[in-house]
This record gives sequence, structure tokens and C-alpha cells, in this order.
Amino acid sequence: MHFYLKEHLEEMRRRVLYEQYRAQKIPVWERIALTWGVLFPFWLIVSGSTAPGNLVIGAITTLIISSFMRDMLTKDIRPKGSVLQKGLYFLLIYAPQLAIIMMFRILESSVKVARNVIFMDINPGIVKIETDLNSDTGIAVLANSITLTPGTLTLDVKRKLGETYLYVHWIDVETLNREDAGEKIKGDIEEWLKKIFW
Amino acid sequence: MNEGTLLTGAVMVLTLTSLLLTYRVLFGPTTPDRIVGVNTITTKAVVMLAIFAVVRGEYYLLDLAIVLLMVNSVGGLIFAKYLERGGAID
Amino acid sequence: MIEYLLLAFGEAIMVLGALGILRFPDVYTRLHAATKCDTGGAMSILIALALMTSAPVLIKLKFLVLAFLIALINPMVSHAIARGAYKYGIKPKVVVDMYAWDNP
Repeated sequence: MHFYLKEHLEEMRRRVLYEQYRAQKIPVWERIALTWGVLFPFWLIVSGSTAPGNLVIGAITTLIISSFMRDMLTKDIRPKGSVLQKGLYFLLIYAPQLAIIMMFRILESSVKVARNVIFMDINPGIVKIETDLNSDTGIAVLANSITLTPGTLTLDVKRKLGETYLYVHWIDVETLNREDAGEKIKGDIEEWLKKIFW
Repeated sequence: MNEGTLLTGAVMVLTLTSLLLTYRVLFGPTTPDRIVGVNTITTKAVVMLAIFAVVRGEYYLLDLAIVLLMVNSVGGLIFAKYLERGGAID
Repeated sequence: MIEYLLLAFGEAIMVLGALGILRFPDVYTRLHAATKCDTGGAMSILIALALMTSAPVLIKLKFLVLAFLIALINPMVSHAIARGAYKYGIKPKVVVDMYAWDNP
């Protein structure tokens, strides 16, 4: 009886969340345009030539692919503003700042691991932190960023009842409190991701 | 000292590093240790291909590097699935 | 000038990462060394190569795409291997293990 109620509650909660996402999806042509805007520069760089025939073939092929792969990249993006506004904001403000933050973090983490290798002053542990992101893409990007920040490695993700928990292997445990550990591990990356992803 | 010699020296250093990692592949105490060693060696091979593309001026090697990186990721995920099922082949 | 600095930094980081894989005590800490040192070293070497070569712009961008793909793929594979190793039954040498508390 107890288990039945719990399962029922979980299913209801999941359905409500799904309906919320579903109701707030961005329109179809914007999804196609965003996917095409990712795929066409990739074609241009990988093919490596700017002949007109090559450009036309690439544009048509990527348009066909993006018209039926439109949900893969864009299903978790928050609907806010028009597509042009979103693209310009992403290209000019969001991406350079995130790239600079991540670059300095990667540099710091490599130097820190090199120091750990030389002096062997490790004190490892596995801690559990909570995050506010709920979508697949957001959690994936957050887990990758946590793996690249100094001294942490994502071990597993657990999602239940609309809450998400991450298990993190920390090479030098400083605190066991969940909020403090979350502050120290996630930093400001989560705030950045919450502006775009669910 | 010109650029080619410097880059060839860089490739030699990377090769020696891969040779060090072969110890972990051959004598690693457990199976995941060997998988970590193989993945690291493949990433170093990707970087070596990129350096050779600059040294010899043949830039098609970069496409090969991208393909090798993707194959490495798929291989790593398959190994991880194999470990997750408890090491059973079926 | 800065490209030679980046190249030397990347080589040093890669050598230290290999030493870390040899010296650390268990799989998870070895994964730390593998992921971070490989990603940082490979990215700095590739940026140095993109600054060093005298090729057209599209080919320089190809180096940057390769660096971006390494930064995207390497942490994902290391996360999968860490999770698989835990499910395989390798106990980590740690002071606190909250994953074992929740999954007895």
C-alpha cells in the first residue's frame, strides 16, 4: 500500500513536470534555426573549403538533418525572447564569459593536480550535493563542468521527485555539510547554466 | 632551433609518456585501471596526430584525429557498460 | 612567443599527469589525474599549434574544434568509467563514502 502510494505520487509529479516543459517549448521554426546554426558552421569547418557548390550542398544537407533532428539539442532551452535575441546574447555575452571562466578553471585544476602528484597530500571522499537543474542537457553540462573544476569528479546522478542529487568524488574533502559543499563545488557555474537550460 | 625540430621533440616526449603508461595497462591491479591507461594513451595519440599535421603540412591528418577521438569515446562508453554489468559477456 | 610557452606548459602537464596515473593509490584518484591533466595539456598544446601554424583560417578553426571536442568528450568518458568501476565492486579508499550510505 505504502509503496503503491509512493509510486503513484512520483508518477504524478513527473507528469506535471513533463507537462510544464512541454507547454513552454520554443516554436518549431526556432528549433530548426538553432540546430541549423550549430550544424552549418561545423560542416564549414570540417569540410574546410569555401567553394560555392560546397556551401550550397552543406546548407541543404544540414537543413534536411536539422528539420528532423530538431529536438535533440534544443528541447531543454528556456523559452525567453526571440531567436535572434537569444542567439546574439549567447554568442556575444554568454559564450565568451563561460569560455573564459572554464579556461581558467581548467588551468587551475591541472596545476592543482600536478601539485597533488608531486606532494601526495590527498584526503579523498565521496560527498552528495543538490542542484536546481532538472533537464538532461543541463545536468550533463553541469556534470562535465564539475569534472573539469579543481579536485572534483562526478560519480553518479540520482533524480527523484523533481530533485536532483549529484555524488561527487572530492580529492581533498574540506566540509561535509551539503550546502557548503555545494557552494564550494558548483561555484557560479550553476547560475550561468540556469540562465539558458532548465 | 627551428619549429620542426621542436615539434618532433614534443612528439618524442609524448611517446615516452605513453611508454610510461604502458606499465599501468600491462600490470594494473584491476580491470578499470587498464581501461584508464588505454583511454589516456589514445588521447595522447590524438595530440600526436595533430602535431604531425603541423610538422608535415598535411592537414587531412586533423580529420583522422577527430575520428580517432570519437571512436575512443564510443570505446570508453562500451567498456563502462561492460564494467557496469559486472564483467559478464553476453 | 606565447605559443612556445603554451606548448611547454602542455607537455609538462601531460608528463605530470602520467606520473599521477602511476603514483595515485586507487582508480578514482587515477581518473582525476587522467581527466584533468589530459584535458588541460591537450587543449593548451592544440591552441599553441593553432597559433603556430601558417595555414588558412578554416584549418586553424579545425584545431579549436578538436580542442572543444576533447573538452566535451573526456569528462564524459571518465564519469562513465568511474560509475562502472563502482558498480563493478571496487571499493574506494576514502574517508567518507555517502554513495555507499545511500546504496547499501
